Amino acid sequence: MIGAALVASGALLVVVGTFGIMRFRDVYSRLQASGVSDNAGLALVLLGLVVYEGWAPMDWTLLFLLLLMLVTNPIATHSIAKSAFVQRHTGEDPT
Amino acid sequence: MSAIEGIILATTLPLLWLFAKAPTAWDRLVAYNSAANRVTAALAIASVVLNRAVLLDVAILYAALSFIGVVALARFMERGGGFR
Repeated sequence: MIGAALVASGALLVVVGTFGIMRFRDVYSRLQASGVSDNAGLALVLLGLVVYEGWAPMDWTLLFLLLLMLVTNPIATHSIAKSAFVQRHTGEDPT
Repeated sequence: MSAIEGIILATTLPLLWLFAKAPTAWDRLVAYNSAANRVTAALAIASVVLNRAVLLDVAILYAALSFIGVVALARFMERGGGFR
């Protein structure tokens, strides 16, 4: 029950973040909206899956996947933002 | 639970549209990164729903490979390569 509620709230955050990515007009704004959906939403989904199935050997793999995504998502976001910033990208001219 | 998986997979469709139609290369990279994370979460949900532990290994491998690809492309465009 609690696990299903966590997964449902995570899916709600994913939907909200998708609207943000589609609506914003800048790379940096899109990165912020993707932070909402990717870090918070998908971490809530994976935590809800750990709680949902009770104790099982699958939980350790789920927790490892959660740790992996929590470590790698900010690195990918920072890498994209630094790449756009170093190239003097303002988001106004597509060229 | 599988309805939630359907919702998460349905949110990848506008991201794929953005991946095709975004104005700059960084927008396309953001769309690809976000869609890959959604596919990873959908694989995790499918492994719990179908009770197959193998799909979790596939999800971990997918997350690691998409991370390596995104960081490599970002570093490549940081040095001035690729399409603008």
